[in-house]
Amino acid sequence: MEFNNFDSATDDKSNLNGDCSPPPTKQAFDMNHTKNIDDISTPSELKFDEDFDFEDPEISEKRKEIERCIQNPDSVNLEKWQQFAKSKGGLISDDYRKVVWPLLVGVTQEEMTEPPSLDDLSTHGEYNQVVLDVNRSLKRFPPGIPYEQRVALQDQLTVLILRVIIKHPDLKYYQGYHDVAITLLLVCGDRASFPLLCRLSCGPRAPLQPFMQTTMAPTQHLLNYMLPVIRRADPDVADCLEKAQVGTMFALPWYLTWFGHSLNRYSDVVRLYDYFLCAPPLFPVYVTAAIVLHRGGEVLRCDCDMAMLHCLLSRLPDDLPFEDILVTAEKLYLENDPEVLEPEVAALERREAEVRRLDEERMKRRQAAARNRRNPPARRWPSLLKALSSRRALLATATVLLGVYVYYRPELLFIRHHEDTLGEL
Amino acid sequence: MSETTSHQIPGLTQKKVFKIIVLGDSGVGKTCLTYRFCEGQFLDKSEATIGVDFRERTILIRNEEIKLQLWDTAGQERFRKSMVQHYYRNVHAVVIVYDVTKPETFHSIVSWMQEVESHGLTNSPRVLVGNKCDCGTPESRLATTYAQRAADKYGMPLFETSALLDSECDNVESIFMTLAHKLYSKQPLRVVSVEGDQSYGVVTLPRHKSRAAPPPRDSCLCS
Repeated sequence: MEFNNFDSATDDKSNLNGDCSPPPTKQAFDMNHTKNIDDISTPSELKFDEDFDFEDPEISEKRKEIERCIQNPDSVNLEKWQQFAKSKGGLISDDYRKVVWPLLVGVTQEEMTEPPSLDDLSTHGEYNQVVLDVNRSLKRFPPGIPYEQRVALQDQLTVLILRVIIKHPDLKYYQGYHDVAITLLLVCGDRASFPLLCRLSCGPRAPLQPFMQTTMAPTQHLLNYMLPVIRRADPDVADCLEKAQVGTMFALPWYLTWFGHSLNRYSDVVRLYDYFLCAPPLFPVYVTAAIVLHRGGEVLRCDCDMAMLHCLLSRLPDDLPFEDILVTAEKLYLENDPEVLEPEVAALERREAEVRRLDEERMKRRQAAARNRRNPPARRWPSLLKALSSRRALLATATVLLGVYVYYRPELLFIRHHEDTLGEL
Repeated sequence: MSETTSHQIPGLTQKKVFKIIVLGDSGVGKTCLTYRFCEGQFLDKSEATIGVDFRERTILIRNEEIKLQLWDTAGQERFRKSMVQHYYRNVHAVVIVYDVTKPETFHSIVSWMQEVESHGLTNSPRVLVGNKCDCGTPESRLATTYAQRAADKYGMPLFETSALLDSECDNVESIFMTLAHKLYSKQPLRVVSVEGDQSYGVVTLPRHKSRAAPPPRDSCLCS
């Protein structure tokens, strides 16, 4: 969603240039964009304060309970922290997140070590790519942050990422990893975010580990769980997605960054992280499915076309009800265990491979056709033979042949006629 | 509107769609370039593209409305292999972008060309774009003559431009308009998109006025 800020500037343009969403939904998007501009002009911290006056009593109660637990952490078990993180409102404030996030993934105080300097790490092979992405992550920093502070944070971000991939050389940096890293950095600071990011990246059940392999094939495979989940809940929406062959690309940045890259509201991002930090690794894919299902009406109204659907789905509205979506996603997870879905995913992947194969064949035919265009007669014969094979064409051919026959043997018709006239005379 | 719309099949809205894929190394300015063309301004808080982004603009060629679909791809190599593949489907034209201040992004053109060829797009219109010509000093920028030689080798026009400068706006415009005109004159590649029926991707020859576009198979009037 890198250009949302500017979309409102195009609102009053009468043409549809640059806009590919269908007209009815366009208005909804624009309204969101206007809201988005307000959001980014006010620091996210302030937003919490604004909400505070009208806070849900349930949340106020939860706030007090979290505070009590933070004051007395030894008496609280992991389940309790997880319950806070998952239930309505999540961990509510970054002050609590800073303490609870490391606890959720089991990071200890001893692991939080002083980071090395950026100069020590600049020789790494991925250094340039990381710096390139970090320098372009301005949108992820709190608005109005002083320049020096932002630059310092960006350096910390580069160090954080490089530290992880240096410690685990088998893990490959991907574009989007910086979006996860910055969320952790902004909440937990540079000392705690390193072991936290390590936990998320390395290990058999580490959620980011599949993204950091040599190729994106493991990620692609995991994203393929989305469509079977959608199909089980709403076959019409699944049919529409599959017919349009929209694929899973629209959800790729969501999954790779845990929505950090794609959501404009910081509060939504950290709320999702609360949940993801204590959920199964595949859970974000179920959230993806829940979002698509939530927007099912829009999907069905949209033209069943890859470009249109990709465009509609990849842009997330700002007013998504994430508390409801998380509840739906959890229900979907409980009802459709990844293991149960495996055969459906395999079937989907077979169908996709078949489409790819047909595509390749069509491409080859197209190339052959281009070659044959230079040599047209050779190409006409097979098509003529093909045309002859239809029944209607056969009838026409028979008529023509009869005509030819009559032309050469006119006596059959005309001589008799001649004789008749002679007789009359 | 255009004469082709009068040949429309009732109940179906047709608009010609040209699909253009934008390729190039990470950070060369693919997103800013497509944004400049589609939105008419510079995107100053640009982020890394993850996967594939999509932008669209409707243009007029000889009074006919044409939809230009720009598929803006991620530059990082890992996204190319398994993920971006899908988006090469039915691509009509290719834009390869490099950063004039970073010679290594220019040298990658070889591998981008291989990629283009592997998807059977050798005969499709292509252009080479040297972006960020507002950056650096004339000495630090890649020499135009050098870039022109490579462009000639691959038989594609070279554009040097800047997505940042408003003064270069016309140049960005001409990149995509050149491609659109090429595609327009290259009739066999004109694909009609029929909204509501995905499987219908028929090649039409609208200049032959006597021959209207054949109707889709499932609603054929002659059988």
